[in-house]
Amino acid sequence: MPAEDPLLSVREVTVHFGGVTALSRVDLEVNRGTITGLIGPNGAGKTTLFNVITGLVTPRSGRVRFDGTDITGWPRHRRGRAGIARTFQRLELFGGLTVHDNLLAAWEASVPGAVLGMRRGEGRRVVDEVIEKLGLGELAGRVAGQLSTGQGRLVELGRALAARPRILLLDEPSSGLDQAETEHFRDLLLGAVGRESGEPAVLLVEHDVALVMEICDRITVLDFGQRIAEGLPAEVRSDPRVVAAYLGDSDAA
Amino acid sequence: MSGLWPFLVIGLFSGSIYALASMGIVLTYKTSGVFNFAYGGIAMFCGFTFWQLRDGWHISSWLSLPLLLLVVAPVMGLAAEYLFRAVITLSAEIQIVIALAVLAFLQALVPIFYGGSERSLNSIFPTSTFRLGSSLHVSWTQLFTLLLAVAAALALSGLLSRTRLGLATRAVVDNRDLAELNGVSSDGVSRLAWVISTVFAALAGVLLSSTVGLDTYSLVLFFIYAFAPAVLAKLVNLPAAFGWALGLGVLQSVLQKYGSSGNVADFESALPYLALFGALVFYGNALKEIRSSFRTITVSAPNRDPRRFAGSVAAVVIGLAILPLLIHGSALGDVSTALIYAAIALTLVVLTGWAGQISLAQFSFVGIGAFTAGHLAGAGGKGFLWAAVVGALIAVPFGIAVGLPSLRLSGLFLALATMAFALIMDTLVFPRNWVSGGYTGTTVARPDIFGIRFTGTLSFYWLSAILLGAYALGASLLNRGPVGRRLQMMRDAPLGASTFGVNLTLTKLAVFAGCGAAAAFAGAFYGAMRLTVDPNDFAFGASLELLLLVVLGGRALVPGGMVAGGIYLMQLLPLSSTVESYIPLGVAVGAVALAQYPEGPTTRSAEYMRYFSALFRRRPLRELTDGRLVPIVFSSRRRITSEPAEVADAR
Ligand SMILES: Nc1ncnc2c1ncn2[C@@H]1O[C@H](COP(=O)(O)OP(=O)(O)OP(=O)(O)O)[C@@H](O)[C@H]1O
Ligand SMILES: [Mg+2]
Repeated sequence: MPAEDPLLSVREVTVHFGGVTALSRVDLEVNRGTITGLIGPNGAGKTTLFNVITGLVTPRSGRVRFDGTDITGWPRHRRGRAGIARTFQRLELFGGLTVHDNLLAAWEASVPGAVLGMRRGEGRRVVDEVIEKLGLGELAGRVAGQLSTGQGRLVELGRALAARPRILLLDEPSSGLDQAETEHFRDLLLGAVGRESGEPAVLLVEHDVALVMEICDRITVLDFGQRIAEGLPAEVRSDPRVVAAYLGDSDAA
Repeated sequence: MSGLWPFLVIGLFSGSIYALASMGIVLTYKTSGVFNFAYGGIAMFCGFTFWQLRDGWHISSWLSLPLLLLVVAPVMGLAAEYLFRAVITLSAEIQIVIALAVLAFLQALVPIFYGGSERSLNSIFPTSTFRLGSSLHVSWTQLFTLLLAVAAALALSGLLSRTRLGLATRAVVDNRDLAELNGVSSDGVSRLAWVISTVFAALAGVLLSSTVGLDTYSLVLFFIYAFAPAVLAKLVNLPAAFGWALGLGVLQSVLQKYGSSGNVADFESALPYLALFGALVFYGNALKEIRSSFRTITVSAPNRDPRRFAGSVAAVVIGLAILPLLIHGSALGDVSTALIYAAIALTLVVLTGWAGQISLAQFSFVGIGAFTAGHLAGAGGKGFLWAAVVGALIAVPFGIAVGLPSLRLSGLFLALATMAFALIMDTLVFPRNWVSGGYTGTTVARPDIFGIRFTGTLSFYWLSAILLGAYALGASLLNRGPVGRRLQMMRDAPLGASTFGVNLTLTKLAVFAGCGAAAAFAGAFYGAMRLTVDPNDFAFGASLELLLLVVLGGRALVPGGMVAGGIYLMQLLPLSSTVESYIPLGVAVGAVALAQYPEGPTTRSAEYMRYFSALFRRRPLRELTDGRLVPIVFSSRRRITSEPAEVADAR
């Protein structure tokens, strides 16, 4: 059952940057076929947690398990190949490649042997599918370095999808999008998550709380590097500590 | 022990000069983020200027020295600051190339201004000696040089610790943007730093050239010694730079005492390079690239029109085929050399242009290939191809060795590490008799491949054309395929690439090894073209020139590599010596123009051609140019998108 066997589980992860404690004994779970929200004020440690999961930051203590396997010590590229794909809050597109090639390159990187030219047809098919689904057709031939931030976020999402992820980590994918784009994005996201097959599951960092409450199955709240709440959207919404963290920002400052 | 004292004195003398230079380098790096590769060139030029003032025009020392230090050097410093400020946000290889261009420019300017490239300069201090203790002779020059270095260091530290200016400098070093917000003029600080740094360069140049002689080439090399203490001081710590410089000078000099045997002597001159390489690898990520912000250059979409591709291939093939009808003899030989050079340039296009790994050691690999071919290819060129393959295989471990620093370093620091590698090859490996036959050189037979002998000029020309064709085709295919994509992923967003499953370690080592092997393979042909090769053919300067020409030609494009070969050819053509002396000048000016057009003229001219051909067609211009070209023509700066400093959250 999903509740007993989460796809991704983070246990008691602690990260320090010099004197700053970015995360302290944080727990997180993402179940198969669900969207999990990760919210918290600026500097709460959300991106840092993503970096721990994808191997860009080594935690001082704590474990990360993916599909039952302990991946805490794995190098980044191994995690990528195991099916963890992410988008970046600060865009990390392959600026000199076209949008199409950005997607293809991500697919090639995640499939063994693809760099030697194997399974070429399959790669093109996957990329075309994603381009079709996200409506990136117009942009496909453009160089990624020339896109606007909004377009870039969409391409980041497409790139992560092209890697055929088992879990998709999205870091503020809707920031910089306007109302219509955000709605478009929400539909894409709901279409992307594998409700039936269980994969990909989604972990979503998002500032738009209304959006998070609407589409997430469960929500984890971070504040100052600590997990202050976890539960269903309705539970989290009414949790006094969450209210305090969001409203109390000004008191703390 | 007593025998050691004279060497200590000599060591303190050269150490003092390194100290001035390394402090100068650290100072500009700290305040403006520019590592001044042209430092030796500035020092050399100041040395010549001083010679002209004092010995040429017979202006008294009392006037000519202040003239140099208070007028000429500051003006040069301000000019350099102005130039480098424009390029600070561009990528590291462009910055390096522009510094190299300034160097080449100064080297070319000296004979034009001062009518010769070698002079002997007398010391500004008395050369008479006095006795210290019972038997130690110290010259006044040595004493005053040390005192001068100490005084300069003290004055600088006083300036930085006691005055408001020092405070401003520290604010700028800590955080340029924040300092600006607080009303500190970071430009003012960096201008002053450049002036002081250039005055130090002038002093060091004048002092050094009175002992090692004044010439445009070796004086510049000498100043590379000062890079090591600067990097050992992590490029920010002035007192540490001073201390390391003195230590290095003394250590080198003490080694000289035991240096009558060849090995130690080589080791002595390699010491600063080994220290530089070691410091870079050891400090690794702790070295901080000081940049206010990064700007990434947006490249236009590659033109993948197969007809266009076929057209340009046909044009090149036809051009190469009719060329032997027009020229022959040694001119055709020069063209062959340039064709091989273009093939070598393509290996750097892959390595630097696509994979984003700067290398200042690519010609060392050419040397490995050429010497291997010289040793292994039989008389009459039998087995040449095998020899070339073996050379490529030998180059692989060397490629991995240059690649290792790239695991921890990038940009400027990687460039410095590869430079140190090339210089270590120059001092410790290539001069060995069993490697190169020493400076008399090794003969390389013209190849005999599958029974066909390529001895004559014309047949060798065809062979060179085939070699270049193979390399160009290989590079184009690579670029269009998954490997090319992988290299560009790593160049554009290493973090992103690695999270998607790219093994950066493997990819970097593989690309260094592969490009090294390809350069070595081409090197066998380069050797065969020249017939004899010696270590000077593959000295560090050749690698510098290669990077310069490749960046100038357009480093991200296959045609860019060919343009590099074309520029190289211009230098080979038999021109009158006056014209010849202006070619480096032209190259230098071209490179400086890169500050405006970072992608090189190849891309630009392709864009212009599209623009002009569009004028003669009946289609709307906008459609053809994506609406992009008009702003490009009028303001190239506009296309550079500014992004906040990448703090690499995750490294
Ligand atoms: N590489 C780093 N070096 C030092 N401190 C860091 C680094 N990365 C993050 N931090 C600090 O760790 C804390 C958490 O940062 P993080 O980026 O994870 O927050 P966040 O929740 O993603 O915030 P935001 O909503 O603004 O994106 C912050 O105090 C930040 O300054
Ligand atoms: Mg964040």
